[in-house]
Amino acid sequence: MSAPTQRVDARLKVTGAARYGADLTSPNLAHAVFAVSTIGKGRVVNVETAAAEAVPGVLMVLTRFDASDLGSPGFLMGHGYGFQSLQPLVDDRIAYRGQPIALVVADTLIAATEAANLIRADYEIEPIAVALDAEGAETLSQQEAIPLPFLADIVVGDAGAAFDASPVRIEATFDLPQQHQVPMELIGGVVGWRGDTLVVHEGTQNAGALRGGLARQLGLDPAKIEIISPYTGGGFGQKNSLQPHVGPLALASRRLGRPIKFVMPRTQTFHQASFRPASRQLVRLGADETGRLLAAVHEVDQQTSRHDLFPALYTEITSRLYGIGQFRGRHRLVRTDVQTPGFMRAPWEQAAAFAFESVVDEIAYALGQDPVALRLANDADVDPVTGQPFSSRHLAECLRRGADMFGWAGRTHEPGSMRGADGTQIGWGVASGAYPASIAPAVARLSAAADGKVTVGVDGHEMGQGIRTAIVRLISEDLSVAAEDVIVYVGDTRVAPQHLTAGSWGTATALQAVHAALRDLRKRLNVADSDPVDVEALVAATGQATVDVEATTVAPGQPPEIIEQSRAGLVSFAGPVYPGFTAFSFIAHFAEVRIEPTTRRIRVPRVVSVVDCGRVASPVTAVSQVRGGVVWGIGGALRERSEVDPRYGGFANATMEEYPIPVNADIGEVEVGFVDEPDLLLNPVGVKGLGEVSMVGVAAAIANAVFHATGRRHRRLPIRIEDVL
Amino acid sequence: MTAIVRRSGGNPTNAPDGGLCLALGDMGSSEATLSSAIRTETAFTVNGLRVKMELDPRESLLDVLRERLGLTGTKKGCDHGQCGACTVHLDGRRIVSCLTPAVQVNGQAVTTIEGVAAPDGTLHPLQEAFIDNDALQCGYCTPGQVMSGLACIAEGHAGDDDEIREYLSGNLCRCGAYAGILAAVRETARRTDPRVGEG
Repeated sequence: MSAPTQRVDARLKVTGAARYGADLTSPNLAHAVFAVSTIGKGRVVNVETAAAEAVPGVLMVLTRFDASDLGSPGFLMGHGYGFQSLQPLVDDRIAYRGQPIALVVADTLIAATEAANLIRADYEIEPIAVALDAEGAETLSQQEAIPLPFLADIVVGDAGAAFDASPVRIEATFDLPQQHQVPMELIGGVVGWRGDTLVVHEGTQNAGALRGGLARQLGLDPAKIEIISPYTGGGFGQKNSLQPHVGPLALASRRLGRPIKFVMPRTQTFHQASFRPASRQLVRLGADETGRLLAAVHEVDQQTSRHDLFPALYTEITSRLYGIGQFRGRHRLVRTDVQTPGFMRAPWEQAAAFAFESVVDEIAYALGQDPVALRLANDADVDPVTGQPFSSRHLAECLRRGADMFGWAGRTHEPGSMRGADGTQIGWGVASGAYPASIAPAVARLSAAADGKVTVGVDGHEMGQGIRTAIVRLISEDLSVAAEDVIVYVGDTRVAPQHLTAGSWGTATALQAVHAALRDLRKRLNVADSDPVDVEALVAATGQATVDVEATTVAPGQPPEIIEQSRAGLVSFAGPVYPGFTAFSFIAHFAEVRIEPTTRRIRVPRVVSVVDCGRVASPVTAVSQVRGGVVWGIGGALRERSEVDPRYGGFANATMEEYPIPVNADIGEVEVGFVDEPDLLLNPVGVKGLGEVSMVGVAAAIANAVFHATGRRHRRLPIRIEDVL
Repeated sequence: MTAIVRRSGGNPTNAPDGGLCLALGDMGSSEATLSSAIRTETAFTVNGLRVKMELDPRESLLDVLRERLGLTGTKKGCDHGQCGACTVHLDGRRIVSCLTPAVQVNGQAVTTIEGVAAPDGTLHPLQEAFIDNDALQCGYCTPGQVMSGLACIAEGHAGDDDEIREYLSGNLCRCGAYAGILAAVRETARRTDPRVGEG
């Protein structure tokens, strides 16, 4: 029996049968809408609700919860559960524009919307600072503000002195904008009670945090909370934690005795959830005359909120992309008046690789060297930060194979030297990328039945990356069962703790737990690990209807007790530095840009990306994931920027029309290659991460291609028409 | 110094000067709010089945399909006609159901994603092609992509890759499955008319 090659849930998705959080319908559903603050900071003095309450069909208008009924969920990155620690609707403080000031619940969505629109408020306004250099923004040293080892500045040798002594030196400062995740599925779902059990249907990457966070906020027994999220309509980091609407909905639903559906309007998703923070990045890179990189300095100021410190980890990859002997990183956090920023696909690595790989390219041009050759000549043998080996590292192979696939040898070196017949400027650019290979604790419960069917429940969430397909393939291959006889439950706290699925650790995490469960099953069935299995016959021979096993796995070096932290819904991953080795995924991107002579529009007709993600667990979905990462890189390079309003706060282009994510016509050919070498040091299935590394370096490859086309370097993103006039 | 001001509690992009109001679409001022009491009898077909209901004229076809008829395959991605996730066919023509008042479809035929496969479950060739080309990831935009893809072919706008890309650019896919979507529509269009896409 061969493993399935197609996405196992594709049929449900092309027929509209897959059920997302807000797809639950029931005759007694009530509908909720939040009214939100129209000031950027201050106090809400009074909220007028009479007109809203008078709308026929309105069931309740709530402006304040008792803090003892609705506590803080704590911050995800501070041993908590929320995208931010701040829980709206418990006091009169307004910390950012768009913060909820009232919750309206009505029989219909129309009535709830009409009523929310009638809410009026009086405010005391305070001055705001929403940009990195705004007056009133407060800058902190990260390692002093959060004294945790993994957030300390990375320092190897004396990079400052080594840079000063370098014969070839490039220094540049880069401005990276706020961006929003904009998953297609809006935040929300259905919240209700079954007796004294709270049941939440919502698309999430972290059902465990919803359960743990609601237990903390509402003072409930976690055993009395069920989070059900079989399909998430895209997460990209936005849905990685408990959002502040769920607690209020749970309380309102209990008071009402009815389940409540909530679908956050698109504009509110820009203000009531996390976003990629603005950052400013200084890179200094020194080399000798042969092109050997001698020293790197990478200093980053990153925006955070007043109420939380969203940490910065930009130098985690830039210190390891090449074998540079001397490195100095520095992270500072800048407090501004926004909701807490957070994770968006390749949260730090996207910006870090753009800045660093732009400067690496500049070094190559300063020396008249080929940008691929310079990168190959500076490959790292060991982790330059810890001195320990990489679990696997095939970046050089990615560069070589990518150059072949792209036809890099046909490139002429001089900027502006390649042109189309109509005067179109053509540029070819390259960049490397890396992303930490982390792993989280997981529980897999596997049940083999006498009818030959195998059911598994495991930590993991299906956000489109194909985790369900990878799990089915592993079981199908191992037990020789048909794909349709494997039933997978993910994103469901009734079957496993449901640790956060993010940071590209999802597949490795789930697969190593399922792998362990399969080993246990074989023992129970008395079959050697490598022997063929007839599940139906062997289970029948036991005389039982099913044979059930449960396996718990952790990351290398983690103590087994870490699973208790994961069971509590808290972030518990490990990596990329493990005892004895360091683990990263690597990638090389090659991009062609064409700048149209009259409109100066920058087009990207083709990209080649070759990835080292360990073993490719599911080839079809893996290709799609890399293509998606490249699309994100194109958006990040040429389109996406959330425009802040320095006068009133918030984001001015908070719609899908004005926040321009790439459309079909923006995307050309995207060719994908895999090194496909298992990383068996990291885990027994040999899998590293893929979802985020696929985006890392795309923007730099495009910017380097724009330089090759025009001779002009770009220090900020996105690169727009006005930048290439 | 703090000052007490009074502002509408509505949408956060609704700047005090009102300059961004046009971007908000559905959020009218209180003066313009309709009475909730108006109901209009509306009759139409959905996937061949006759429907007759009393509707608030403000209810979108999208919300009626999802909340009243339980046809949740059609998705809400923006509610402003910007993303295409809610695309359905009205008398064979593609529309965004979020911008279509349900009362307006009186007497017309609506087809949703649930009506695309044959009653016995046999998939439409375009649905098969979406699976074969892995033209989806999270799946949330997929029903809208399929409905737009069907219309793109029926309109005769699947002549070459550039044309397909252009005529599918009203349907956003944040996962970035565009290459697969293009391949699925191209493949299905060729199957329908072998001359298509040869150039």
